[in-house]
Amino acid sequence: MRKRFDDHSLHPKDVARQKAAGRIGMGKRNLVLPLLALSGVEKRFGGVRALRGVDFTLTSGEIHVLLGENGAGKSTLMAIISGAALPDRGTMTLAGTPVRFQTPREAHAAGIVMIPQELDLVPGLDIAANLYLGHEKVTPFGTMAHEEMLRGAQTLLRQAGVTLDPRLHVSSLRMGERQLVAIAKALASDARILILDEPTAALSATEAEHLFETVRELKRRGVGVIYISHRLEEVPRIADRVTVMRDGLVVGDAPPDAPQADLVRMLVGKSFQDLFPPRASSIGQPLLTLDHARFTPAVERAGWQAPRDVSLTVHEGEIVGLAGLMGAGRTELLSSLYGFEVRGRWHGGVAIDGKPAALGSIRAARRAGIGYVTDDRRSTGLVLGHTVARNIVMSTLARMTPWGLVSAGREQTEVVGALERFDVRPRLPAARVINLSGGNQQKVVFAKELLDNPRLLLLDEPTRGVDVGAKGEIYRQLRALALNGLGVLVASSELPELIGLCDRIVVMHGGVTVAAFSAGVSEATLRRYSLGEALVA
Amino acid sequence: MTESITAPAPAGRPRKSPLVYLVRFQSLLGLILVLMGGIIFSPRRHGHILFLNPENIANIVRSISETGILALGMTFVIIAGGIDLSVGAVLGLSSVLTAALLVNQGWGLGTTLPLVIVVGTIFGLVQGLISARLRIQAFIVTLAGLQAARGLALIASNNTFININYGQGPGNAPPAFAVLGERLFGDTFPVATLVFLVLAGLATFLLDQTRYGRYVFAVGGNERAARLSGIPVRWVKISVYGLSGFCAGIAGIVHAGQFSFGSPNDGSGYELNAIAAVVIGGTDLFGGAGSMIGTIAGAVMLGALANILQLNDVSAAMQLLATGAIIVLAAGLQSLVARGDGSTR
Repeated sequence: MRKRFDDHSLHPKDVARQKAAGRIGMGKRNLVLPLLALSGVEKRFGGVRALRGVDFTLTSGEIHVLLGENGAGKSTLMAIISGAALPDRGTMTLAGTPVRFQTPREAHAAGIVMIPQELDLVPGLDIAANLYLGHEKVTPFGTMAHEEMLRGAQTLLRQAGVTLDPRLHVSSLRMGERQLVAIAKALASDARILILDEPTAALSATEAEHLFETVRELKRRGVGVIYISHRLEEVPRIADRVTVMRDGLVVGDAPPDAPQADLVRMLVGKSFQDLFPPRASSIGQPLLTLDHARFTPAVERAGWQAPRDVSLTVHEGEIVGLAGLMGAGRTELLSSLYGFEVRGRWHGGVAIDGKPAALGSIRAARRAGIGYVTDDRRSTGLVLGHTVARNIVMSTLARMTPWGLVSAGREQTEVVGALERFDVRPRLPAARVINLSGGNQQKVVFAKELLDNPRLLLLDEPTRGVDVGAKGEIYRQLRALALNGLGVLVASSELPELIGLCDRIVVMHGGVTVAAFSAGVSEATLRRYSLGEALVA
Repeated sequence: MTESITAPAPAGRPRKSPLVYLVRFQSLLGLILVLMGGIIFSPRRHGHILFLNPENIANIVRSISETGILALGMTFVIIAGGIDLSVGAVLGLSSVLTAALLVNQGWGLGTTLPLVIVVGTIFGLVQGLISARLRIQAFIVTLAGLQAARGLALIASNNTFININYGQGPGNAPPAFAVLGERLFGDTFPVATLVFLVLAGLATFLLDQTRYGRYVFAVGGNERAARLSGIPVRWVKISVYGLSGFCAGIAGIVHAGQFSFGSPNDGSGYELNAIAAVVIGGTDLFGGAGSMIGTIAGAVMLGALANILQLNDVSAAMQLLATGAIIVLAAGLQSLVARGDGSTR
């Protein structure tokens, strides 16, 4: 496993490798000499200049947060560091030695490990098998040394600060736990530099906190960590140093305690508060009314928090936020209102337009004028391989195809109109969705759902994985739609987003709506109610 | 952030490499190549190119009509993200059923043919229903369906080979049925091929010009997204097997008509030729992408290739090898493009 710094009984090959990784021959803890230094790096993809002369350094034992909008060049920079791409120009040195990685394997051998957003774990295997994937321990008889691997896995998990049984299957783990296993796996390969790409994107607040602890533990062990994030609120809690990129350039460094507003200004060139449009002055009739409503799923699923006692009202023209921790039942509330991938019955008061309604199936929801945008556009929102036009008309095919026949003219008109309205770029109906940036993909999902003219829109984490600039556009769109009478019920784990966007915020805890607040509530209050503390006190 | 590491999505227009066009038209290009190869390598007699001899061309288009019809239905199934291994066996069942009803039962064409088509369709629908309801992979269900259809064919034929004689009275089939083995337009154009072309036109229309076709693409492209958008996913997934069974039923009738007999072993292995035609035609085995015109070209290409090899007295073994190579080539080209696109397939 991890070799000690003062281990002199190393194989010559290992010595060379460790030298390259900056472990030997640079004194005990020399933080002055950077572990990794890039200078003047340029990279072009076709006509796009992804990097236009970037300098970047990382010292060992440092957590260096890298911020940037989609297309700012972060991913390209990481691709170069981790050997997935070659720079067109510029140099890279690892512990003072110039390096040029041709393949990710070479970078890996030098101790640079990247943990991508889509984790490369095998769900069907247990944790230990995943940690030893590709370099399994074998007994002298050629069989697998299960005991040894289990013990080793325990050590690795402990080092990563994780308390999980290595015999658990990865498929049974939550996202946050998988993330930690992926980090432990990086430790197993003796990582010297760890690149984390939005590790908290799919994590709850508690899971994220756990991840931070693990990352800080790695830092104490002298690992250099490059931490890419969209969540500005994480920065002061994790960063030693912050670098902001925009348009293929480093626009500046910031101290870890830099105010969010400053970071936003560096990222997009305007302030955070300006992202939120002004609120509506009036709201209309009640659209959706839940009065002590309860949902009983046909099949109980572990970890699926059924709505147990939900009371809330969404009026026409109103944006209502759903706050709560992961597992509070926000997503479950939305998906059972829409009848998506869950079967069961609603009990108690469920009314649309003041009249009792039988929700629980997609058909019923759509007939009632309800649209739903999930938190995962790639797996449930879009057909990535299809064109923008095909995706946009997907929810309105019945209208687009009189007598069951495709009407190319009608389709073209609607799609062009939608691209215009939602400012999707490029404005090409024939572009494949997979080639669009995250923010533009999200706009396509919105366009698709809104083309069907819903009266109530259910949104789950509408700005997840979307950069700050696109977030602002989505907020503006939502408010504009609300001004036209659309009711919105939006679940989000980003409290500043809910506070900035919503007219009212309902807090959930354990499948129960515990409190409702009008605009102007503080983050601290929301957090207290989310944790369920206010109930006990 | 969803941009991929290897190919950051440029903010501008999506790039199109020549490779994309190569694949979009791969079946047509392949077809042209095969036809050119046919002309070049064709044996000549008295200065005439045998490959282009009307008789030979009639042979080619006749030989592809059955697998072609199967491939039409298969295209819907594969675009919707499924697979249907039962079509060859259903062809056999339909062929035997046609012969048995016409000859042994003395039924007329007006009752026999619709019934056979309905049986094929229902067989397909049942497979779709089982796959969707019980959530069993289509591969398994249709593999089981293959066995079941062969079993039914044995029952229907009483475990024998049924010869179709034409004429009046018991034990004879109506002479009109023999038309399937004949040719039109001065003995040049096989009727079986005409059936294929008519069905191909209908299938192309259904896939490209109707709401149903859009549903099929959406379901194969992303089932969950399709369901969220209010598309009747389950119905689409069941119905494509109905279409496939419908095509297999017609193919069985064509088979019985062309060869004037029905045998329970008819059409064995045809499902693989049908799948090959679809894949060569550029349809994605993972679903969500493909074209009917590609399938048609793929079927013609396979038929022409087999014909050239036969004309040159190439052994059956070499013919199989050549077909295998072409399938790999077509699939390889597709995966090249998928990688160039940065798509995750």
